[in-house]
Amino acid sequence: MRRLERLIAVAFGALAVTGCATMNVSSHVRSGIDFAQYRTYDWGPADALPTGDPRLDKNPFFQDHVLGAVEKQLAARGFEMAVTGTPDLLIHYHASIDRRFDINGTDQAHGYCYEADCHEAEIVEYEGGTLVLDFVDARTNRVIWRGWAQESLEGVLENQDRMARQINEAVTRMLKRLPPRL
Amino acid sequence: MYSPSRWVRSAILAVLAVSLTGCASTNVHSYLERGADLGRYHTYAWGRADAMSTGDPRLDGNPFFEERLQAAVEKQLATRGFEKTSATPGLLLHYHASITQRVDAYSAELKYGYCNECRPYVYDAGTIVIDFVDAHSSQLVWRGWAEDRFEGAIDNQHIMERQIDSAVERILQRLPPRL
Repeated sequence: MRRLERLIAVAFGALAVTGCATMNVSSHVRSGIDFAQYRTYDWGPADALPTGDPRLDKNPFFQDHVLGAVEKQLAARGFEMAVTGTPDLLIHYHASIDRRFDINGTDQAHGYCYEADCHEAEIVEYEGGTLVLDFVDARTNRVIWRGWAQESLEGVLENQDRMARQINEAVTRMLKRLPPRL
Repeated sequence: MYSPSRWVRSAILAVLAVSLTGCASTNVHSYLERGADLGRYHTYAWGRADAMSTGDPRLDGNPFFEERLQAAVEKQLATRGFEKTSATPGLLLHYHASITQRVDAYSAELKYGYCNECRPYVYDAGTIVIDFVDAHSSQLVWRGWAEDRFEGAIDNQHIMERQIDSAVERILQRLPPRL
């Protein structure tokens, strides 16, 4: 019995330790909106908020990856980029980086550990990245959906391929959460 | 067969889990301007939106959070006899929400006097502040706030909405009675 307990504790511990490496993805949605009414989209004016990191501020490589990933996913979902006239949706994105803390050797979610798995607690500082996508109804000018993905960016920004992969994963998983268009 | 130590341990873990994730630890307080009589005010309007960052990109400019909070405040104030107006309001309301990462050293030990190899851990703490400003004098007459763990709440819209409703209700319960 103690073995099983310990196994479970170790499993949770492993989850927690790698916790900052797994992407956290979620979304908010306006209730009572029929997403089938939206077919075309365009990019809204670029956001003026700083990203919190000079390497990302006005970084066209990053920007192109985000735009490209979103456009690809939206095309796969039957949305079209508006060529003429007013689009149904305006899309905004915001990327930001801030210093986050994590504790090594602890089950972060529960704050306890078992004898053998207890290490000296150590506070680890890392760069947490957040990518937010807002879908705005172009007629009412109201946000109808917001999705986000958060992950540690340690070693990612300085590696263009990893950055591209991470953006792809973030955008793909976020847009999976869009309400279905029937 | 239950071994007692196993049962006790699960019970403690269950209590810990509730205490760490629950809103049982909401901390609610308020200040009242000395000599202020809230009975004088009958109408209110929302003041200019707050330009400060919440400290969390998921919440910055998030209309789902803002609208829910405003709706919760409006509902509570209606039951207390305040009327929302667009004409000349007696009060201007402002709110500010913020999220900060905190490190908790040994909370289990402090709260329950029991700790099984407790370790520090990091969590997201959320604060909602509601200000009542005299629209005529621009003086702050009342401020109420709630602090709580916001762990996982933003990622789940339903939990977030419930947490907003309960925080707002508990903040506004502290308004002085209007006779």
